[in-house]
Amino acid sequence: MHESILIYRKHRYLKWALALAAVSAVIYLIDRPLGAPNGGTWLGYALGTAAGGLMLWLAWFGVRKRRYGVGKVPLEDWLSAHIYLGTALALIATLHSGFQLGLNIHSVLYVTMMITIISGMVGLYFYVSYPRLLTENRRGLSTEVMLGQIAELDRDVRQIAMATDDATNAMALKSTQDTILGGTALQQLRGFDEHCPTTLARQFVESSVSSQHDAQRRQLLTRLIRKEDLLKRIRRDVQLRCLLKVWLYVHVPFSIAALAALVTHVVTVFYYW
Amino acid sequence: MRTLIRHVTRKSRGGTAVRDEVAEGEKILAGRGNDCAIHLPDPRVMLHHADLTIRDGKLYVLAAPGADLRVGDSLTQISKLDVGSKIRIGPYEIEFAEKGGDFDFTLHVELVLALGDDLEKLVARSRIHIDRIGLSMRAWVWLLASVVLIGTFVAPFVFNLLVGPPPDKLSLAPGKQHYVAAPTKVWTSGSISAAHKFFGDSCESCHEKPFVPVRDRACLTCHAGVQNHAQPAIFPFADLSERTCQSCHKEHQGNVTIVLGDEGFCADCHKDMGARTTRSTLANASDFGLHHPEFRPTMVKDPALHSMDRSRSIGGTPPPVENSGLKFPHDKHLRTTGVKDPGRGVVTLQCADCHTPNETGETMQAVSFEQNCHSCHILRFDTFVPDRELAHGKPDEVFKQVRDVYDALAMRGGYEEPTAPALLRRKPGEPLSPVEKVTATNWAASKTADVFNGRFGRGLCEECHRTFDTNTGKPTPTALPEPKPWSIEPPTVTTLWMPKAYFTHARHADVPCAECHAAKASTSSTDVLIPGIAICQSCHGGEKAADRVPSTCVSCHRFHRKDLEPMRPEKADAAPHILPRERTFAGGTLPMWEKP
Repeated sequence: MHESILIYRKHRYLKWALALAAVSAVIYLIDRPLGAPNGGTWLGYALGTAAGGLMLWLAWFGVRKRRYGVGKVPLEDWLSAHIYLGTALALIATLHSGFQLGLNIHSVLYVTMMITIISGMVGLYFYVSYPRLLTENRRGLSTEVMLGQIAELDRDVRQIAMATDDATNAMALKSTQDTILGGTALQQLRGFDEHCPTTLARQFVESSVSSQHDAQRRQLLTRLIRKEDLLKRIRRDVQLRCLLKVWLYVHVPFSIAALAALVTHVVTVFYYW
Repeated sequence: MRTLIRHVTRKSRGGTAVRDEVAEGEKILAGRGNDCAIHLPDPRVMLHHADLTIRDGKLYVLAAPGADLRVGDSLTQISKLDVGSKIRIGPYEIEFAEKGGDFDFTLHVELVLALGDDLEKLVARSRIHIDRIGLSMRAWVWLLASVVLIGTFVAPFVFNLLVGPPPDKLSLAPGKQHYVAAPTKVWTSGSISAAHKFFGDSCESCHEKPFVPVRDRACLTCHAGVQNHAQPAIFPFADLSERTCQSCHKEHQGNVTIVLGDEGFCADCHKDMGARTTRSTLANASDFGLHHPEFRPTMVKDPALHSMDRSRSIGGTPPPVENSGLKFPHDKHLRTTGVKDPGRGVVTLQCADCHTPNETGETMQAVSFEQNCHSCHILRFDTFVPDRELAHGKPDEVFKQVRDVYDALAMRGGYEEPTAPALLRRKPGEPLSPVEKVTATNWAASKTADVFNGRFGRGLCEECHRTFDTNTGKPTPTALPEPKPWSIEPPTVTTLWMPKAYFTHARHADVPCAECHAAKASTSSTDVLIPGIAICQSCHGGEKAADRVPSTCVSCHRFHRKDLEPMRPEKADAAPHILPRERTFAGGTLPMWEKP
């Protein structure tokens, strides 16, 4: 049975992370450094070393996850620990800073790191909640099956529309030829297309169905409605799958940028010790 | 007219299949509609797309309104057709294949542009995977990481090498104050302290060597004379010679002072001095509002020996007693009915009539006889010599002064005191015989002794001063010429009651004097009129006080004590000498010391 990564091994890594965060916070609260708390006290150095080490270890996950079947610790452990310890990093790094942020390069590290952590949390939220939404949205159909159904409906639509007037036929043909799924990242993320030719065709046919006996148009309308529904679901599917991946376009580059900023931070702090 | 319409279908394996239809008449319709002789079943074709018309044995094609029609390569509305002409209607091509023969005209109709596979086309024009949007993760990663690394490190580093650090502002020519900050200023870990901002753009002023912590010598360039906190020989635990300046003075903490204000830093030792040393007489303290001893003024015990006492607390038993050698009842001078002033009549004195702040407003100027007492206290010693007063503040000279006055009178005459010998009361300027001169001189000596020891000599002095007989064997601070029989104890007026603390009247100027000093009730100059700690605590609390002025140790006390030796003597010579400010009584400074 699938075990959520969040409750993996009975929250083992949550406990680790909580312990780490609690120890850091308690020492921070007890510690009475000379002057304001900052990264240059003994605790500041300790927290900074811990935070820097954590960042390197968290980044190593990107390497580890590509190495299938390597290492004794399963990837699930890595991921679970990555999530919880990454969250703890936000606190440890903040304590390291002594809540001092300014317009300097050290804050670049803090900001890139926080963007990485927050995007990771967003990604986690997607991973936890979207698979269910995806399944519900697909109603047991795969994307391929839905696309196949649309192709079949297109054939029907064309066939039926040929017997209708030119305007209707043109709209129907446009629906079969110009309907686009997805597109740019933004279009994928939007999950709908207000200029969708199928919707326009459906609206056109709907408004022109006049008599109960207009059998062809009614047939056409039924198929357009069915197609529109399939399109809506595929677009939602595309949107959800896009969201499941798009956070990585923030998480990964910012994590590497944070590592670059970490190098600057450490070097410059000791350059002007 | 009969026209053969031959539908040609090409097979995928090669070869063709044909289906023939015959149309009668002179007008042949082409379109999607079932009524069309040339039936073109494709959605891209209009219901009635074109007419083919035979006129005078010639074939014409006419496009329906709005219909797309091509003959050969040209788009047209109407066209005459020759054998071999090709018409394009939507995906169909209609070729005028033959004229004559079994039929009048033969047309070949072929679907040359099939609609294709719907699924394939739909998939082809849709992009439903994020991976296929043309955004390369790798490129994005490289871009962002490079921007960060170059922007935050490489660029400042290289620019710093190229332009060099800005000159130290300390070495600036007057009036020239504007600099472009060092490119590496973006590396700062926080705003520099207020006092150091003027050279804060020059990182290398303090960070002399890369990867080496700021060395003391950078600080000592300006602060060479900074003193110890305690005498290292007596209090080794407070020997800070092994510590660096920056172990206490944290820079880049924002736009604040670099001086540590943490109560806890002082309380570490001072909350329980007994645990640290047995050689200190300091009472324990850790918070001004909650844990601080009553003030113990530094009192002069014996002016002659310069001995001090700071064992008695304000309001304690026994109370601190000032041993200034002066008699001065504040209550008599401040009484509301006023005091008699020879020049102004009755005046009501105010504190400020005698106590005036010094230039900084920090302490009060020493009260002086000439400035503050003389207008009332005239030192005339003989009503018949109204123009002469005792020389104040010159006990060594005053006997001689009086003697000189009477010697001169004896020689000159005209002294109108009724009991004086006639010789003295003679007409001024009348010469004396040698015998008379001896008599007159003897009178002068006797008169001098009378006056000097009488009500207007010693008695006048004793209104304010303590006097002592010079022949009692008591140690005298000054050797007086004989036959002076008594002298005045030099007064030792305390001007700084608590030399280890800092207090300024300037910042308390709006508080009436009487709020803190109970002078009107003081009957004796032995009273110590500085307020007790409770009066300070009514406004001031400890560092974390919520309902008082938060005041930390360094609000009143200095860490680097100006009365002690420099912490870094090897550098101190180069520094401007800073005088100790502890001047505790008029006429000299007293050192402060710990119990050896």
